[in-house]
Amino acid sequence: MFSASKTFPTAHEDLIHDVKYDFHGKRMASCSSDHSVKIWDCDEEDQWNCTAAWKAHSGSVWRVTWCHPEFGQVIATCSFDRTAAIWEELLGEQSREGKQSHWVRRTSLVDSRTSVTDVKFAPRHLGLLLATCSADCVVRIYEAHDVMNLSQWSLQHEIQCGLSCSCLAWNPSMFRFHLPMIAVGSDDPSSTAGGKVHIYEYSDANRKWRKVEIISMVTDSVHDLAFAPNFGKPYHTLAVASKDLSLFSIKPIGNLGKEPVSGGAISKFDMHRIAEFTEHDSKVWRVSWNVFGTVLCSSGDDGCVRLWKANYMGSWKCIEVMRGNGKKSEQQLEPKTTVVTASNNQNIRSPPPGIMNIKRNSGWPSFSTNADKGKLYY
Amino acid sequence: MHTSITRKLVNETHNVFVMLQGQVASSTGSNLQSQMVMSSKQYRAILKACSMDLMHMAETCEDEGERESFEDQIQIFEMIQLIWGFCQILFIEVTPDGLLLNQLLDWIKWHFTDGKRLAVDILHDEIPAEHPAYWEAIFRLLLQGEVDSVRKLLSLNTSNQNEAFLSVDELLRKMPQWAHYHHALSAAEFDMKWRHWRDECQRRLEEGHYVAFPNLETLVMVLCGDENVFAEMKDMCGSWYHLLVSKMLYQNPTVRAPDLHHYAEACMEEFTLSGTRMGELDNILLAAIQFDIHQVIKDSSAFLSTGSWWFVSHFTDLLHHCGQLDTQNLAYGSNLREFLLLEYASSLMSHKSLWQVGIDYLDYCSVFGRTYITQFINHMSLDNEKKAHKLLHICEERNMQEEVQTICKVMGMKSLRRGKLGAALSWFLRSRDVTATSKLTERLIMEYSKTGQFEYTDILDNLGPAMFLSNRLTFLVKYREFHKLYESGETNKAASLLLSLLEARLAPRTFWITLFKDATPLLESKEVIFNSGQTYVLMHCLEELRHELDAKTDISQKLTDMEKDKLDLLQLCLTRNLSKAIKAEGTVKTS
Repeated sequence: MFSASKTFPTAHEDLIHDVKYDFHGKRMASCSSDHSVKIWDCDEEDQWNCTAAWKAHSGSVWRVTWCHPEFGQVIATCSFDRTAAIWEELLGEQSREGKQSHWVRRTSLVDSRTSVTDVKFAPRHLGLLLATCSADCVVRIYEAHDVMNLSQWSLQHEIQCGLSCSCLAWNPSMFRFHLPMIAVGSDDPSSTAGGKVHIYEYSDANRKWRKVEIISMVTDSVHDLAFAPNFGKPYHTLAVASKDLSLFSIKPIGNLGKEPVSGGAISKFDMHRIAEFTEHDSKVWRVSWNVFGTVLCSSGDDGCVRLWKANYMGSWKCIEVMRGNGKKSEQQLEPKTTVVTASNNQNIRSPPPGIMNIKRNSGWPSFSTNADKGKLYY
Repeated sequence: MHTSITRKLVNETHNVFVMLQGQVASSTGSNLQSQMVMSSKQYRAILKACSMDLMHMAETCEDEGERESFEDQIQIFEMIQLIWGFCQILFIEVTPDGLLLNQLLDWIKWHFTDGKRLAVDILHDEIPAEHPAYWEAIFRLLLQGEVDSVRKLLSLNTSNQNEAFLSVDELLRKMPQWAHYHHALSAAEFDMKWRHWRDECQRRLEEGHYVAFPNLETLVMVLCGDENVFAEMKDMCGSWYHLLVSKMLYQNPTVRAPDLHHYAEACMEEFTLSGTRMGELDNILLAAIQFDIHQVIKDSSAFLSTGSWWFVSHFTDLLHHCGQLDTQNLAYGSNLREFLLLEYASSLMSHKSLWQVGIDYLDYCSVFGRTYITQFINHMSLDNEKKAHKLLHICEERNMQEEVQTICKVMGMKSLRRGKLGAALSWFLRSRDVTATSKLTERLIMEYSKTGQFEYTDILDNLGPAMFLSNRLTFLVKYREFHKLYESGETNKAASLLLSLLEARLAPRTFWITLFKDATPLLESKEVIFNSGQTYVLMHCLEELRHELDAKTDISQKLTDMEKDKLDLLQLCLTRNLSKAIKAEGTVKTS
């Protein structure tokens, strides 16, 4: 099933922290502790070429994320230097694929007082919104009012989480009676601080984000979160990567999500753990779903990337294991079944150059797109 | 799996699938059943054709590894055909009287061709009876119910004039076969006839007619349906299901489907005792005999789907339409058939040309199909215009307006980045995105006021009703029209158009000065173009403009001296025109 694997050196001078496919799977962005971001394009012969590289921040860049292409070629990055930045690609008439393209900084978001740990664009139907979370326990939501002018972003909401945040995920559900929802994970090491995943929902009536759930079953630090795309199922599925991989089903009760929640009432949820996977036998760093929400991809400290699928009866199991070439790997499953892993072989003294593995499968096994990252560092 | 052969498989079965769905929608009852049977046969025919192609490729292939993978594939296809044929008999092609032996015999003959091949070899041999495989061929054919061929081979035997041989020949000739009788007799009557015949065989055997020829004796024992002899014959059968059918032929030709499994277990035991392991294929067939359709599907999914979901999804779809599947919804939201079709369609999506086939399949998934299509289209990379148009066509066919808009927006942005403003404009118009169109139009207008040149005139000229999407755009088009009229010399029309543009306040304020500048040659011309009423309107507009610009307190936006001078000049032109007009209107024309 999983045949050729492609590896190519990225020439990043330090650990690669994140790699993300864009919406269509033909471009990739990678960011690293060497403060830089690189953009890769796939050409017709399936070769990946670096079309842009620049120093984005003055500290390690933790995460990079792509925006929906209807807003243009836009990425956002967040970094240890307490800022998040938004970049847009400029292409003149002379420039063609394969040639170097130029990315400009549209804006810097400097409200955080500590390292910004994650940045994610909201689902397209909510408009041009961006959420960042930082180690100072705050999730900030920014909005660009003018979609043609990306330099004007205003801070719309600040959510106090109470715990140092490490990752966040938007719920991509487009069902019109589902309110915007964010899950925030924390890497607070103390086990007495309660559940490490908080769910927030936006109430239109009060114009506020409110905490609606805490997943108390997760008490170890959380490294990644991902909501599965929801196609009319009555419940949401959330994958949590921490000490192990867990899947939770979050079901709005009462209206069964079929009518709008009236006025300022807080939604209630029925939540339970669907599955817990310990096959990685070590910390799970990244999780990602495919486009249809049928396959989950996870990567762990054992250097393996695993794919998980549910049969028609709803029971989950691992359908595939892939080995990266080193202990640490970061992965992303792209639309059309290609998994990217960026692995940083950590030798004893010297930080190695980052290397990216792309494993391509033959395409038949039952899943198509998936944007999923598994990342390991330290 | 995405080789050219499997692509052929996908495309052709897609045609069959779509036709089947159409027939399900339109026909009912027995007409529908015959359609199902035909579809089933078509699927199997396509499979067989692909199998043959694969075999050909395997033979001509040089690379060892490739050949191995071809052979694996061929094996899987063989198994699928076997299972499909069997299930067709049990579940789809159900005869009204429930008897299925004939179909089973056909099935066996189709898949186990050793006997026939041996027979052909022997017939071509010089002395057939001396051929080492002579009796083997006869027994194989006998077990498949090929009575005529057996008789022919026996007649080639050197002792064929012997009484024993003649007796056997007679028995064989008189053997009642359901295929010949099923029009005329009922099952019970046939059964009686057959028992009568079998008693005759038994009698002759006991009377020792065949003592001299042990092989003939064995033959007649088979005809009598003797249990022990079948145990010896099992090697000729090769597999328990062949043995099962052969046994039924000679022990119980009027067997009905539900009773098969009693005999099946005994046959299976025969084989397991001698050490053959039961593989997945055998389990699937056993499940089918036991009418446990879900188990069949489950095992097939587990075992035969490592390469693709093709088999299970098409098969389940067919069974579903035959009414053989339980249609209740599962926890994930829909039924089993839809689950498998979704899996199959998803697996096609990653292929660069088969994705369209995948979308077609999704059309027939009633619960989740549409959302899957939407999601997939959203993620599809728009490599070039052709693909974008294809996707748009697909969206429009299915009335997915939002996706149309998204695709157009993305393409518009792409064009904009490449600097192709004209293409971007047409994409934004198509997406009916007012903001983007307005922004882009303003850019075009600004460019005009800087360069005095229009680009993209052909797009602007051919917009038609689309220009009303954005005020700015309407203005731009009308302005272009004004220029055309002016150039072609129709000054009156041009003038009234210009006037209406100013009056309707369509233009951005910043552009008014340019408009007035355009009006100047018309004002300065010898003949009166703007009459007094129109001139008053123009003067009013000028006042308004001056007033507004004066009222701006922001220093940077105040008029420069040069601009003030321009406005004064304009005022002068307008006044002069006014005087001309009043004079002209007041003059009585002498004829």
